[in-house]
Amino acid sequence: MSDWLGMSAPPRAPRPELKAQVLVRAAQRRGGRRYGPWLAAAAVLVVVAGGASWTYRRMGVLEGERARLLAELQAARDSLSFIMGTSSRVIQIPVSTNGRVGAVTIFADSVKHRWLVRCEGLAPNARGQSYQLWFLTNKGARSAAVMAMDTDTPMVLALDMPPDSSRVMGAAMSIETRQGSAEPRGPMVFHLTL
Amino acid sequence: MLLRRLKSHDEQALGELYELYAPWVFGLALRILQDDGEAEEVLSDVFVQVWDHIDQHDARRGPLAPWVLSITRNRALDALRRRRRWWRKAERWERARTAEAGNELAAPDPAEAAIPGWPVHQEVHQALASLPEEQRRVVLLAYFEGLTHSEIARRTGQPLGTVKTRLRIAQAKLAEALEHVKDWMA
Repeated sequence: MSDWLGMSAPPRAPRPELKAQVLVRAAQRRGGRRYGPWLAAAAVLVVVAGGASWTYRRMGVLEGERARLLAELQAARDSLSFIMGTSSRVIQIPVSTNGRVGAVTIFADSVKHRWLVRCEGLAPNARGQSYQLWFLTNKGARSAAVMAMDTDTPMVLALDMPPDSSRVMGAAMSIETRQGSAEPRGPMVFHLTL
Repeated sequence: MLLRRLKSHDEQALGELYELYAPWVFGLALRILQDDGEAEEVLSDVFVQVWDHIDQHDARRGPLAPWVLSITRNRALDALRRRRRWWRKAERWERARTAEAGNELAAPDPAEAAIPGWPVHQEVHQALASLPEEQRRVVLLAYFEGLTHSEIARRTGQPLGTVKTRLRIAQAKLAEALEHVKDWMA
């Protein structure tokens, strides 16, 4: 009922030029409406995809960083357990490599049968060479680790003692080929009997 | 059918709709706003809105003309409330209201009778004219000024219950009188 009340107002012809303006405006709106939502959707899609890609890459970076920090923390805890452990014995061996004076420090845990070895002040290896650490046992020298040092930054490594019944009686370090040797052949850096 | 062509976004159909409805849309907007410039803005907005939302018109719920006029009224009342330009129009309003008080439903201008939809206008006009003065007043205040029941009560100095009763009775009478009205659009 009330919808028809609008017809009670007397009709008035608008200015003739208004018609063209209204039709143009309506046509422009229709065109805009046809493509507008698609353009807006495409823009949103690009933003969302870009954001997702950035987030994915960022998560990868953060995940790697987290893993690295966890490994460092674990290594620090491991080192600390050697240093603080009541069963650890500390052996410091002064060494001279290529005219440079340094030291190899061994934290030997007799309960856990592990060594923590810190090498400091060693000269970087010559091309094709590396340092090789040896356990000296009652059954001969057993390779403990091959350490290729291309810089003179300190190196720390944790080593498990030989798993068989051989008894460790000392330690040695020699300069070997890059891949290491089955037995000491190169120049000796140090030789220690425990 | 014009409605079907509009729904298929036939721009020529919009032009035809404009020819049919523009005088009524502009007349209603002018009746509410009493300002040519604002009424022209409403006219433009209404046809753009109709064009944009023609898909929302459900022919089963009623003809197109009341739907378009309803949009017109809402747009015009929004403009009326939003712009608050009453001070500019005060004088014109006073003149219009004085004319309404003397001859609120003035006899139509015969020159306008050629406009499509004129018979509907006459029927609505007659239906309103047949209402008692106090009922017609509340209907006009509610429809053309967008006043709430409470605002009408304050304006007329009548109790709220009386206003509601008059409106209810008036609406029932108008619904009965206009029940048979059909859209003039082809």
